[in-house]
Amino acid sequence: MLEAAYRTVARYGIAKTTVDDIAREAKLSRPTVYRQFPGGKDAILREVIGWESGRFFGDITRAVAGITDLADLLEELIVVAGGEMQRHEVLQKILQTEPELLVPLLVTGLDRLIALLKPLLLLGMQRSPIRGDIDPDLASDYLARMLLSVVASPGTRDLSDRAAVRSYVGGELLGALR
Amino acid sequence: MYRLTSVTAVISHRQPDGDDTAGGPSSHLLDATLRCIARWGVAKTSLDDVAREARVSRATVYRSFPGGKDALLSTVLHVEVHRLLDRIRATVEAADTLEDALVAAITETGRTIADHAALQYLLANEPELVLPRFAFSQLDELLVVVRAVGAPLLARFLDSDLSAAERVAEWVARITLSYTLSPAPGVSTADEAAVRTLVKTFVLPGIANLQGAPAK
Repeated sequence: MLEAAYRTVARYGIAKTTVDDIAREAKLSRPTVYRQFPGGKDAILREVIGWESGRFFGDITRAVAGITDLADLLEELIVVAGGEMQRHEVLQKILQTEPELLVPLLVTGLDRLIALLKPLLLLGMQRSPIRGDIDPDLASDYLARMLLSVVASPGTRDLSDRAAVRSYVGGELLGALR
Repeated sequence: MYRLTSVTAVISHRQPDGDDTAGGPSSHLLDATLRCIARWGVAKTSLDDVAREARVSRATVYRSFPGGKDALLSTVLHVEVHRLLDRIRATVEAADTLEDALVAAITETGRTIADHAALQYLLANEPELVLPRFAFSQLDELLVVVRAVGAPLLARFLDSDLSAAERVAEWVARITLSYTLSPAPGVSTADEAAVRTLVKTFVLPGIANLQGAPAK
């Protein structure tokens, strides 16, 4: 049902999507949909966002699998996440029309990133050590915040420009840890 | 649901003579509005409530908020962000070292947000009204202002390198917002000691590495 909801929103946009549209796409009856989501369209949208962001993180994790150099890893994370966000029609639509729907994501996204980064960081630190006085927990928390910040709000940076991304990685990210 | 106007769009409409009360709400009216929001939030605060709290006529309130109820939060945020930027400017200008300047800027912001009853009410009960204004493309817009205001203030500590100063200003803004709006255990941006540790651990070493790298 969430996949159907996603497809419907992608096709009609958020404002024009109705529970009827979703039910039809999912080949379910309206009462069935409402029974599962008594909160209606808003509840469905929140679930879709949670589900889709899980898929998004999965994609990104796969894209960086096997990269052991910390700088390369951070660069790839930014380029892939930034690119995926730009290409993401539904996300872009939400950003334009109902950005408040993404507010919970800003919090859970951070937690997910920290969880993702910590083991990768520990691995990377074996090869390219960070300063001895920095606790790995603190370091991965800091990196996750600065990563999330630049991917969600690149400022004037073009995240597909690897030189620009490497500059950020070398400065605000790893530069802070060396 | 309110149309989300960006903070920066509101800031750039500031009166050229620097007097944000010209044509807008007086500070008396703004303080009354903030008290209402601190008590009931934005959704439940009407312009009539503001009039009653400020002990002025409804006409006065309606004249001071020409955008009506919808513009209430935007207008209030406009002035509050400006007040904060003015205070940051003052503390940074008084600092002797880059470390002190950055600690002052972050702490001033952290304390202002922590002590702001209206903002705290909204963050707890109506976060969707506030958080999107400091995320995604709306944060991009705010960062333009941060770079413009911050760069001249920090340049004296960075060999007058305005480009590096812009980058540092933006960096510090990102750190401030992230640690303030999504707190980390044991790190409060309102606590000077914690902020100093953050600045000494991450920012100062990073700046040293920055000045070697090409800025973008």
